[in-house]
Amino acid sequence: MGTFLVFLGGILFLAGIIFIKPRAKKDQKWKTVLNWSLYVIWYLITVTGISFVYINSIVGHVKATSTAIFLFLGLSVVLAVVLARLLGFLGKQKRTNSSVEV
Amino acid sequence: MSRFSDHEGKQQQPKLQMNRRNFLKAGAASALGMGILGAVNALPAKAADAVTNASVPQNGAKSKLHPVIDYGGASVRFVEHNDQWLGTSKLVGTVKNTHEAEMGFALACRGKLTPESQRGYYHFQFVMKHPLNAAIGGVAMNLAPEEMVDGKPSPTKLPIPDPEQMSQHIKDCAYFLRADEVGIGKMPAFAYYSHKMPSQDDMLKDDLTNAMPVTERLPYVIVVMIDQHLETMLASTGYDGISAGQSMRSYHTTGVVTVILANYIRSLGYSARAHHLTNYAAAMPPCIIAAGLGELTRTGDCAAHPRMGFRHKVAAVTTDLPLVPDKPLDFGMLDFCRVCGKCAENCPSGAITFDKEPVEYNGYLRWNSDMKKCTVFRTTNQEGSSCGRCMKVCPWNSKEQSWFHTAGTWIGSHGEASSSLLKKIDDMFGYGDEQIEKYKWWLEWPELYKVPAAH
Repeated sequence: MGTFLVFLGGILFLAGIIFIKPRAKKDQKWKTVLNWSLYVIWYLITVTGISFVYINSIVGHVKATSTAIFLFLGLSVVLAVVLARLLGFLGKQKRTNSSVEV
Repeated sequence: MSRFSDHEGKQQQPKLQMNRRNFLKAGAASALGMGILGAVNALPAKAADAVTNASVPQNGAKSKLHPVIDYGGASVRFVEHNDQWLGTSKLVGTVKNTHEAEMGFALACRGKLTPESQRGYYHFQFVMKHPLNAAIGGVAMNLAPEEMVDGKPSPTKLPIPDPEQMSQHIKDCAYFLRADEVGIGKMPAFAYYSHKMPSQDDMLKDDLTNAMPVTERLPYVIVVMIDQHLETMLASTGYDGISAGQSMRSYHTTGVVTVILANYIRSLGYSARAHHLTNYAAAMPPCIIAAGLGELTRTGDCAAHPRMGFRHKVAAVTTDLPLVPDKPLDFGMLDFCRVCGKCAENCPSGAITFDKEPVEYNGYLRWNSDMKKCTVFRTTNQEGSSCGRCMKVCPWNSKEQSWFHTAGTWIGSHGEASSSLLKKIDDMFGYGDEQIEKYKWWLEWPELYKVPAAH
């Protein structure tokens, strides 16, 4: 089971890379590095959080489970939103199609 | 339109294909990986051990049944034996052999604490008041007679292997008999009691004239350790009905293992005496330290194991069988206890000190916890049977094994700053002082927990 989960984690990590690759490269190198770094950090926090919450909930540590949900999931969501904004999934300017109308 | 699509498809197609060179490279890499994994399984046992257990420190002779010593996540260092230190405990003067009648429960029995405490201790009532604890404790009582723990060695010495192999064999015997951990140490002479306490009738009259002096001085001590059961501890308050039951579970098992080991060693032609709950001739904490199984903690004389903390009980065998002693451990427990103090915050009797530093006591440094207060609470606890609240809340031993607890104890074993971090994380996640009801399996009879009235 553990081996399968590690395999699944690896697959999801690669899937994420393939998903953001077309948008991660920017004109300025530091922005490209920032995108990839944020992706790696987001992935680690998310996976760590899932594992932490899962194990604590199985054993029955109620406070640890609820605290970890807020801590890790909160961090994960915040980072995901920032990353999505940087990659252009969120907050893209709407195209003006006035020229088409003319 | 269709022709444009065809053309685009043809352009993209080669990107998805793997050329022959890359295919061969990937194949070679896979074969190499599988080959390494296969080789680890196919190597001779010794070489495979070296590959797979390279990061696990080995102390003394290596057991065949339990080859990997499980220190949890703690970063363990081994320290040498000398006359100024016993493990990480500093010896600052002459450590005198203590009288068994001076230990906490003996003081209760002698009426030196409170009348309620004396009544609570009488015939181990504070343990026996719970029917399950009485049932387990009764078995331990059967191991008390002198002929169970000691005897004359066989007049003929059987041929035995060299001390290292013999140490390995003794450890394997202990694991075979279901020990959770076992260690071999040089027996500190000061660990022996000066006298054994007399009969309970004499103790109740505070008459120590029949106390027997302990004259035995054997060079080695084999210490057997049994876990007090994690899930039970997670469900317990630490001072409810099962509290003494957890102790008895480990005491009676270590007693059985050591009585058998001592008997076996005597049959090989060497001297051996078992020391367990119902018949000690030595104090156990120095033996635990000497055998590389723990360090002293803030609680005073309780020694914590790197993995189990002090969620354990021990018994020991002193012997002159030629053995190779393990080295005492240093896994940063003193630094950890210096900054943690969670046991002191949670002690229902207020017996555990909040002092930052250990102080001198009988020639060595230890935290100045009040064993009298502790004993009074344990013998008169009306919410259960005895108490192990300090054990329950200690961040070192209040958890199941998982990657983050392993990481936690690794952090905790690296000095005061990291210990402080571990304590804060432990508090934030609510470990230790929680009760996990789903593991509560035992029955409670609160009506049995009253201290008997005076006659």
